Amino acid sequence: MKVLILAGGKSRRMGRDKAGIERPDGILQLDYLIGLARAVSDDVLVSTNDPGIVPEGIQILADLQPGDGPLGALASFKARFPDEPVLLLGCDHFLMDEETLRNLLDGRNPAAAATAYPNRIDHRAEPLCAIFEPGALEAVDAQLNAKRFCARTLLESLNPEVLPLQNPVALDNANRPTDLDEAFAKLTEGVSPKTVRILYFAKLREARGLDEESVETLACTAAGLYEEIAFRHRFPLELDALRCACNGDFCEWSTRIQQDDEIVFIPPVAGG
Amino acid sequence: MRSSLSPPLLAADLSGDLVSDCRNYNTPMFQITAEPIDSATIRARVADPAAGGFCSFEGWVRNHHQGKEVDCLEYEAYAALAEKEGARIVEEAVAKFDLQHAMCLHRTGRLEIGELAVIVCVSSSHRDAAFGACRYIIDEVKSRVPIWKKEFFTDGEAGWVRCDHCAGH
Repeated sequence: MKVLILAGGKSRRMGRDKAGIERPDGILQLDYLIGLARAVSDDVLVSTNDPGIVPEGIQILADLQPGDGPLGALASFKARFPDEPVLLLGCDHFLMDEETLRNLLDGRNPAAAATAYPNRIDHRAEPLCAIFEPGALEAVDAQLNAKRFCARTLLESLNPEVLPLQNPVALDNANRPTDLDEAFAKLTEGVSPKTVRILYFAKLREARGLDEESVETLACTAAGLYEEIAFRHRFPLELDALRCACNGDFCEWSTRIQQDDEIVFIPPVAGG
Repeated sequence: MRSSLSPPLLAADLSGDLVSDCRNYNTPMFQITAEPIDSATIRARVADPAAGGFCSFEGWVRNHHQGKEVDCLEYEAYAALAEKEGARIVEEAVAKFDLQHAMCLHRTGRLEIGELAVIVCVSSSHRDAAFGACRYIIDEVKSRVPIWKKEFFTDGEAGWVRCDHCAGH
């Protein structure tokens, strides 16, 4: 099956092209994903409008309609290969591994319009490491015509086969520099569950409906913990608007959290 | 007269109650309190024979914000860190300006219109240091100390105030 790696994103929040980010072992992210994809497929394509980032010998699939995101890439794929399924793979999966791709291919259900994994936090199907069958691609055009670009909505509308995710962090993605710190910490320091105490104040206390709670997390950094919690509870504040504290004093977002730490995410303050 | 500056805050002082003896320099220089603040007590706390100047700032609960009528305010603090960061700010002011003494208290809980939400008192040999330090402390407290303010409007709406919407920021 063809694997289509998405390397055309704007990476606005990251501030630089994710495909060109150097991993802790020195390998560029795009090259890393191409390596994984080649281990499970003979047919690897990269979706980008910047051919300069793609290594020689790898087929490039330019967008027919640039700026339409993952759905645009799927539409471009369908126009070129109308009768073929495709494994779509986002470029921001820094913790992706070969086993996760292989299990997806092995567990593929061609009778379903798509095969995917659940997000480890909210358990909704994740579209950017998923197989889309040829029949699914009709729905892509319909969504694009309606100017709806959400890949998650598309995937859920397809009623996908959802497989168990063996490596829970394989689908963790990185959208901003603090996410990248978190991903690299997981890569270099390993992933282990820990329980921490979180105190909530002001807007976050109201959003959570609690003053404090114990939380089990796979996060290594304070930022990683916030992203987990904020995603789970749909917090109204982005990380950039907050500061964080660990064990009674301010800390950096890259601070490594430990078992039994007391963490506070500090909404914009307004004394006086 | 640097020798008479308030000493650095000791951890053990954080839980200490305010005492009326203005010479007790072990009193925390920054406190979060749920009780009404008596400005005369705080003023007395920074009194010093070597001080020729005194400045204070009082933040009061006003009845309007951005054109809307305010009914009351609720302040909430992460007290442990607020007192730590507040003490750092007062210590910074003491280091930056030529002060005799400096103190700041901030209220928590529900406050009615006209109530005192925050007070800064500083004393110094000369007026420039007192004006400068007073301004420095209130500005830093507003932007750095983990205290939050929820406004309840007379029309029934309520909302958390962001520092960057506050006057002067």
